[in-house]
Amino acid sequence: MIGNSSTNRMPSYLEYQGKYTGIRAWILSTDHKRIALLYLYSQLFFFLAGLVMGLFMKLELIAPGQQLMGPATYNALFTVHGLTMIFLFIIPGLAASFGNFMIPIMIGAKDVAFPKLNLFSWYLFILGATIILVGIFTGDGPPDTGWTFYAPYSLKTNTNVVLTVFGAFVLGFSSILTGLNFIVTIHRMRSPGMGFFRMPLFIWSLYGTAWIQLLATPVVGITFLMVVADRVLHIGFFDPAQGGDPILYQHLFWIYSHPAVYIMILPAMGAITEIITTFSHRTVFGYKAIAMSSLAIAFVGYLVWGHHMFTSGMSETARLVFSFLTFLVAIPSAIKVFNWTATMYKGSISLEPPFWWAMAFIFIFMIGGLTGLILGSVSTDVHVHDTMFVVAHFHYIVFGGAGLAFFAALHYWYPKMFGKMYNKKVANRALLGLFIGFNVLYLPMFFLGFMGMPRRYYDYLPQFANLNLLSTIGSWILATSLIVVIVNLLRAKKGTPEEMDDPWGGRTLEWKIQSPPSLENFEEIPVIDHEPYDLIEK
Amino acid sequence: MKKTISWFILPLTIAVLILISVNAFAEKAKDLEVGITEHLDEYVPSDIMLTDQNGNLVNLKQLINKPTVLCFVYYRCPGICSPLMNGLAEVMASTGMALGKDYQAITISFDSRETYDLGQKKRLNYLKKLKGQDPSGWTFLTGDSANIAKATKAVGFGFKLVNNEFMHEGALIMISPDGKITRYLKGISFVPFEFKLAIIEASEGKSAPTIIKVLKFCYSYDRKSERYSLDITRITASLTLIFAVSLLLYLLIRGRRKKSNSVNQ
Repeated sequence: MIGNSSTNRMPSYLEYQGKYTGIRAWILSTDHKRIALLYLYSQLFFFLAGLVMGLFMKLELIAPGQQLMGPATYNALFTVHGLTMIFLFIIPGLAASFGNFMIPIMIGAKDVAFPKLNLFSWYLFILGATIILVGIFTGDGPPDTGWTFYAPYSLKTNTNVVLTVFGAFVLGFSSILTGLNFIVTIHRMRSPGMGFFRMPLFIWSLYGTAWIQLLATPVVGITFLMVVADRVLHIGFFDPAQGGDPILYQHLFWIYSHPAVYIMILPAMGAITEIITTFSHRTVFGYKAIAMSSLAIAFVGYLVWGHHMFTSGMSETARLVFSFLTFLVAIPSAIKVFNWTATMYKGSISLEPPFWWAMAFIFIFMIGGLTGLILGSVSTDVHVHDTMFVVAHFHYIVFGGAGLAFFAALHYWYPKMFGKMYNKKVANRALLGLFIGFNVLYLPMFFLGFMGMPRRYYDYLPQFANLNLLSTIGSWILATSLIVVIVNLLRAKKGTPEEMDDPWGGRTLEWKIQSPPSLENFEEIPVIDHEPYDLIEK
Repeated sequence: MKKTISWFILPLTIAVLILISVNAFAEKAKDLEVGITEHLDEYVPSDIMLTDQNGNLVNLKQLINKPTVLCFVYYRCPGICSPLMNGLAEVMASTGMALGKDYQAITISFDSRETYDLGQKKRLNYLKKLKGQDPSGWTFLTGDSANIAKATKAVGFGFKLVNNEFMHEGALIMISPDGKITRYLKGISFVPFEFKLAIIEASEGKSAPTIIKVLKFCYSYDRKSERYSLDITRITASLTLIFAVSLLLYLLIRGRRKKSNSVNQ
């Protein structure tokens, strides 16, 4: 038995005094838990910044015509909103924060394999973010290309593309190193008795994610360098005037950026699996199927990038093949959803806030996933391509999927990470508000897109006015609820060790140590002699 | 572990099958009236009878028993034929491969009015540029219009008689020992490196030194620009995959770390 009695508690990682004090005890710490919190705070900061930009965009779209800003400002705003949310919040996502915190604990290790590299990754993350910020505020203004930097416009615009793209390049290295670190940690640091098929499923999802980070990110890194080379040295990789090929850019970009969607969503699915299992008080249904579906998503996710380019100029055959492969990805995703449902079946479900968050995730993610099939089949995609439909689908997956799972995980592991419990009633109500706000904000976009409203315009035709007004109102509900969520977390109260060590009745290793964990997580490396979700006497 | 591997095999097989089927869809264009339409991967028919420089009737297919560089000219040509033949002779002299042993050259006159003795005259002239090479490796052929038409059609060489001169294009056509068309090198002057790679490709099936295989892997024939180009995507992709696979193998073989790690704060 690994548990700590309250009489024999070590100082927690939050209290621990090392060589350094003050802020240096954090920014020079190689403890995976402190690095995880560094990521968590920086990500939340960027998330809130992105949120504010989103609110301004919705405000501009409240009625036809110009409200707050002209087209150029709007272009810059949606670009920076995308950059911030994608590269600074959701790509590091659950892996950088919760992955860093939980991987060593869940596999029974004291830290990740390369703690210093781990800290270095965070510095690269901050460096990349800083470069992007500098790019926004200097030169001839923030980029206005959209977060995708499509050539040839990204080669021609006078805005500060070079710096921003270079910042994203640096961020890529942070991602690659984190992926490498996680892969080695999962292979080499598992405690005795913890075979691959005894790992919690969150770890499996992070394992698949880490391979994508390692293999796909270099592609976008090179691509961004090619954009810089095109702009600075006028090489002409993507410039048709110099014999280059703009479609090549799209291929290279999406070869990374589609798998990147799985970098975002896989850890989210992993966290949801943990939550559903814990609150159903049942062994997870189909452990191996869920584990393997993570790898299958990671693998097939590499082969579907072309579905972003159905209207960009590809042969009929290529379009059909990419469409077919896209449909294939739906299978492992559905495996997960069905297994979650089956896990709940005949379970003894306790309706705690993290569980509600997980339910909200499944509902919204399913809408996102099913509308993805509409975009994945060639004929329907041609109709809704580059309309608000795509924006809606994307936000249902990335915000409603990965983003909601991020907050679900935060509510789930919050007592473990901080030894504090938030007000559950407020948490539930805030979630309800967020759920309503989310759907009021994004659901109308499906209809707008279907009716033909293009995306990325600051203005629209009068017939789209009502739904846009509704959507803007939704954005206010959503933002208010999010503020309540965050304030509620910040106002969480310290509980007794008995209450906090395992408030949910979880069965994975993190619930068998003290909350917050001690510096070395385990005073003695645990020996695992049972399956990951077995209900055993504590 | 075995189970894990079998989970990977199915998607991999699907991916490979898809790649193969995509390639099978390659389009086929109509032959040009004047100019060259590439007939890659097609075979030289076995019933083409032509006359060699000594006046002997030969079967073209049987003559091709080693990697072959084929070109069509007419000997009285005032245009690009002489530069083309000069270019061919120069590249053969500088390529470092042995004519008649590693490969052979065949020049065919597509003007049915020309005779074998004119071919012999031209041949002796160009052989002067190839000192030290086996002269029997370069054959000059003539033939009747029916057989010439068969040959030019087979390789997609379109030409037209206008005012007693022929309109045509210049190119070298690479043919494998079993008569398969493997490459077209267009133009009238040739880079020795490209020429050598093309011959190596034509010799496919025969064993070649390793270094040559690496070269072939790194350079691929770009059908659009009709040149060999460094295939940077293929190289980087291979390096990435090699890195990934060796990392995975290393981790699988080494297994778990034996010592428990301590934490540095």
